[in-house]
Amino acid sequence: MSLSSTSSHTMDKSITLPPDEIFRNLENAKRFAIDIGGSLTKLAYYSTVQHKVAKVRSFDHATKVNRDDKLYEISVQEEVTARLHFIKFENAYIETCLDFIKDHLVNTDTKVIKATGGGAHKFKELIERKLGLKVDKEDEMTCLIKGCNFVLRNIPHEAFVYAKHADSEFRFQTTQPDIFPYLLVNIGSGVSIVKVESEDKFERIGGSSIGGGTFWGLGALLTKTKRFDELLQLASKGQHTSVDMLVKDIYGGSYGSLGLTGDLIASSFGKSATADKEFSKEDMAKSLLHMISNDIGQLACLYAKLHNLSRVYFGGFFIRGHPVTMHTITYSINFFTKGEVQALFLRHEGYLGAIGAFLKGAEEDNPNQYSWGENYAGSSGLMSVSPDMNPMQRARSGTFDMLEMDRLERQLVNLPLLQDPSSYIPDTMDLTEDALAREYWLYCFEEALDGVVKRAVASQPDMPEAAQRAEKFRQKYRHKLQTLRQQPL
Amino acid sequence: MAECVRLDSSTSSHTMDKSITLPPDEIFRNLENAKRFAIDIGGSLTKLAYYSTVQHKVAKVRSFDHATKVNRELRLYEISVQEEVTARLHFIKFENAYIETCLDFIKDHLVNTDTKVIKATGGGAHKFKELIERKLGLKVDKEDEMTCLIKGCNFVLRNIPHEAFVYAKHADSEFRFQTTQPDIFPYLLVNIGSGVSIVKVESEDKFERIGGSSIGGGTFWGLGALLTKTKRFDELLQLASKGQHTSVDMLVKDIYGGSYGSLGLTGDLIASSFGKSATADKEFSKEDMAKSLLHMISNDIGQLACLYAKLHNLSRVYFGGFFIRGHPVTMHTITYSINFFTKGEVQALFLRHEGYLGAIGAFLKGAEEDNPNQYSWGENYAGSSGLMSVSPDMNPMQRARSGTFDMLEMDRLERQLVNLPLLQDPSSYIPDTMDLTEDALAREYWLYCFEEALDGVVKRAVASQPDMPEAAQRAEKFRQKYRHKLQTLRQQPFAYGSLTVRSLLDTREHCLNEFNFPDPYSKIKQKENDMALKYYQKAVKSLEELSWEQRQFALVRVELMAFISCEHPERPWLVDSYDQWFERLKGPPHKCALFFVDNSGVDIILGVMPFVRELLSRGTEVVLASNSGPALNDVTNGELQILTERIAAMDPVIQAGLREDRLMLVQSGSSSPCLDLSRLDKVLAMVVRERQTDLVIIEGMGRAIHTNYYAMLSCESLKMAVIKNSWLADRLGGKLFSVVFKYEVPAGKPSQHSAALSPL
Repeated sequence: MSLSSTSSHTMDKSITLPPDEIFRNLENAKRFAIDIGGSLTKLAYYSTVQHKVAKVRSFDHATKVNRDDKLYEISVQEEVTARLHFIKFENAYIETCLDFIKDHLVNTDTKVIKATGGGAHKFKELIERKLGLKVDKEDEMTCLIKGCNFVLRNIPHEAFVYAKHADSEFRFQTTQPDIFPYLLVNIGSGVSIVKVESEDKFERIGGSSIGGGTFWGLGALLTKTKRFDELLQLASKGQHTSVDMLVKDIYGGSYGSLGLTGDLIASSFGKSATADKEFSKEDMAKSLLHMISNDIGQLACLYAKLHNLSRVYFGGFFIRGHPVTMHTITYSINFFTKGEVQALFLRHEGYLGAIGAFLKGAEEDNPNQYSWGENYAGSSGLMSVSPDMNPMQRARSGTFDMLEMDRLERQLVNLPLLQDPSSYIPDTMDLTEDALAREYWLYCFEEALDGVVKRAVASQPDMPEAAQRAEKFRQKYRHKLQTLRQQPL
Repeated sequence: MAECVRLDSSTSSHTMDKSITLPPDEIFRNLENAKRFAIDIGGSLTKLAYYSTVQHKVAKVRSFDHATKVNRELRLYEISVQEEVTARLHFIKFENAYIETCLDFIKDHLVNTDTKVIKATGGGAHKFKELIERKLGLKVDKEDEMTCLIKGCNFVLRNIPHEAFVYAKHADSEFRFQTTQPDIFPYLLVNIGSGVSIVKVESEDKFERIGGSSIGGGTFWGLGALLTKTKRFDELLQLASKGQHTSVDMLVKDIYGGSYGSLGLTGDLIASSFGKSATADKEFSKEDMAKSLLHMISNDIGQLACLYAKLHNLSRVYFGGFFIRGHPVTMHTITYSINFFTKGEVQALFLRHEGYLGAIGAFLKGAEEDNPNQYSWGENYAGSSGLMSVSPDMNPMQRARSGTFDMLEMDRLERQLVNLPLLQDPSSYIPDTMDLTEDALAREYWLYCFEEALDGVVKRAVASQPDMPEAAQRAEKFRQKYRHKLQTLRQQPFAYGSLTVRSLLDTREHCLNEFNFPDPYSKIKQKENDMALKYYQKAVKSLEELSWEQRQFALVRVELMAFISCEHPERPWLVDSYDQWFERLKGPPHKCALFFVDNSGVDIILGVMPFVRELLSRGTEVVLASNSGPALNDVTNGELQILTERIAAMDPVIQAGLREDRLMLVQSGSSSPCLDLSRLDKVLAMVVRERQTDLVIIEGMGRAIHTNYYAMLSCESLKMAVIKNSWLADRLGGKLFSVVFKYEVPAGKPSQHSAALSPL
């Protein structure tokens, strides 16, 4: 693993995590879907998992005397549950991954792999050759929307607002009973603005050619920096005021009668028109970032107003896990709507296309009729990717990232007696926003871990390997707790 | 002239010549009487405005006092040339480099002024404040930039016909001018300077900046300079006009291999501006990058403008600011973008005098005590430079010129002008039958006609002032000026809005006035009137002897015959609805007829007056509308008053009409041989409304053919003319001296009169 994300750009083609920890439950996998973007591949498959479940059974009081005076008997049974696996990795690993999958794919009668994303056609031949599956292309936007609907419906705390300077960077939204209608602003190379009215009804109501590709392309021309992440890093260090012409640069102060403050950007890159000097890469990158974020923010607000929508989700590679762009987009939305509309981001935004493509392929199973729950044990969780904060985890998020969702046996809905389902929050205390409380409870759970391990081993006196499994559990949970200490979200 | 001095390629030489290349007294006209100065200093251009008064010679007619004197020469009236003072607004635009020279010139020529203050606006105003105060000795008084801009915009939209135009790069005519709307509000103004301001204007005093963007002209310039190392805005535009954006931009087809049908995205649509430069490891040409940048910015502004227009339910969107100003490249990309985003529902509109808005507004702020908005103003074609097409490749000569000095002059009209209340749809009314900007053949022909006729006009002008020895010299100056205008119009047909026969005629009148030939036809008109008057009684008598049926036809024949000397063409005429008119006459009389008259002499006296007489006898009131000022041999209101008095003395029907106020003379408010029903004297409009006018009669080529041929009125109308131009006759599918007799009843109003006639 590369410790410094900024200095080493040579890509390591070997997989740094054991592949069997990533492509879990491949033996029973069926229904594959793949979403290949400009730089990342997202793979989805459905699998079944054998679980041990504890069952209780009442003694038959009619025919038997209950000798031990016990009320019921406990038995451990095997149960098979459905699980969705989503794995994200850099395109560079695609061949290695396909090989691994091929080697471990048993028991499958799958003939087809659903594919979406701009890169799908580039890798079509490779996938068909390696996996022996027919690549079946699905419409990118349809997949994106399908995936978005799915995560909004099934993952509590999927959406969040980003507040750079608040106690907690991420403020999660409670799941809304009705997720429609909403606006999805997908900032890839360009921008697509999509109004989603129901499960099957969406419309691309607008778009713009000024998107992530413009930041990247213009940024590359201006700074000779070819990597998107580096451009963002340059931007986060720059001062836009040395390149941009502000209101005060023209009027000496604010333009009160028009309600324009002095610090407002009057003209992006306005100073570089006439000033005969060199501008720093950082400053130009920052100015460019502001220009593009503000523009997208304004367009999103106008479309939201025009269509009377209050929920606006942002996605696409420009946004994906980049606090810098989440911050500028949030700022822009606040500026243009005076706080009336909030910029919302999605924890699993990167998986939407893959989820959607998978759902398209699984339509005969009608996955939307079930409720699904995120399996915290098998999911990587959202990474704070501020480059300076934690380069280690950044490097990791660049390699593999996972999401697993279990099918719940029963469909879950709101208690009909909730006064206001949309404002109901099950949790009394939000530890993300309360650092002291967080410290305390994380400590508590760590302290209690030994006891839990002991109890787990004791619960299975007949199984000799129980101690070993309990130790694995201890390691995994402790690692999760450590992660949560650093990344409370 | 500027063109000669700066013949060298405008693109290669950028050193600025600080000397003024036009004689300054031709630019800063009428400075002696100037007062109320205003100045708008932008990033590169200064716009100066002042108010001045101009002494004109005007021809006046005066009736001889018949009571006390015997009219020895048998002349009806006498003609005198008098001096009249009119108000004029001057606007001059020049590069900031000339500002000091210009201020010096103004200082030297400014006499008689008690002006103490100069209104100033624009971003550069504070930079030159000290210089202006020192040079002119005037106190600089700063005005709010946006307020000035909006005030100026309202003013030009209200007062200059054909101010706004749509731009169509590949159409027959690049510029398609819009007719003036009776109500200019509400509208959206998108001002693209360094940044973009989007302003909603709801009334004269109410506007709001509803949006804006930092991606504007400064961004094109700034990013363009960084990318191409080209520091001049014009050069960047020129680079852009030669580039291919597709080598830099990522198109939909670059991602999806073709169109993205299910989302309605065509393959050629730009998916990501500069998307290709993100990953491609190659050098991009300056031209291509500039083009991509231009598209990016224009499309973005276009989309924002559309969204704000939709959100505020506005359909008129005007674009201005230095990014747009006279640059066909940006007008084209903005137009394209607006069409794309609104699917044609909203049109991008541009303004001919957009560069002057700030100066006009600042001036108006300073002149508020004079209440300039209470008057109507008219563009003086003689003193205004006209719109220049500045496509850098098209005409480098004119480009150089537009870069130095550009002028706009507006005359205060004596009367306030309004719409004729009887127009069926004032917002779609177009006075002109033929738009010469859009019809190259017609343009060629008419420009040739006017050039051919010029010698004759010059001769007549000289002959009209036999007592003035310098008349020949002035007439020569007139010839030069008008010929130059014609030449300009040949190259730039859109210089003063849509080019029409009317604008050609009006320009000639403005130029004649400019050189003090207020009424070259005055003597001819006088002679013809005297002559015709002698035959009036005889003509009336012979008409009286006819049967009613015969007389109705004879009246029309005589009226039409007044225009020609040859044999009258037989029916059916080229356009012939005489039978319908005749049937109508059998019905009840009209309540009131409005009659727009044409020529002096035979036409008015032997053609119109007997017709009027018949109408009066039927019980119809008649309003005779004639020109306020002279134009060709058209009868003016002054002349017509004298003529009518004389006829009344001979004719009891006319006399009774005048006495009982059933015959009324009004002025049209115009000094043109044509007729613009959207700019008529306010009094006329009032009379028309009060008298419940239900018939409009328009006669003559200028009023019924060149203009108003297709005008739709909300009451019955009669258009009569003989086509005295073989080319035009050919165009309309007839021969020389074809007759047009067009009687129209508005659709949806089937004449209740004829219904009343039918037996049931």
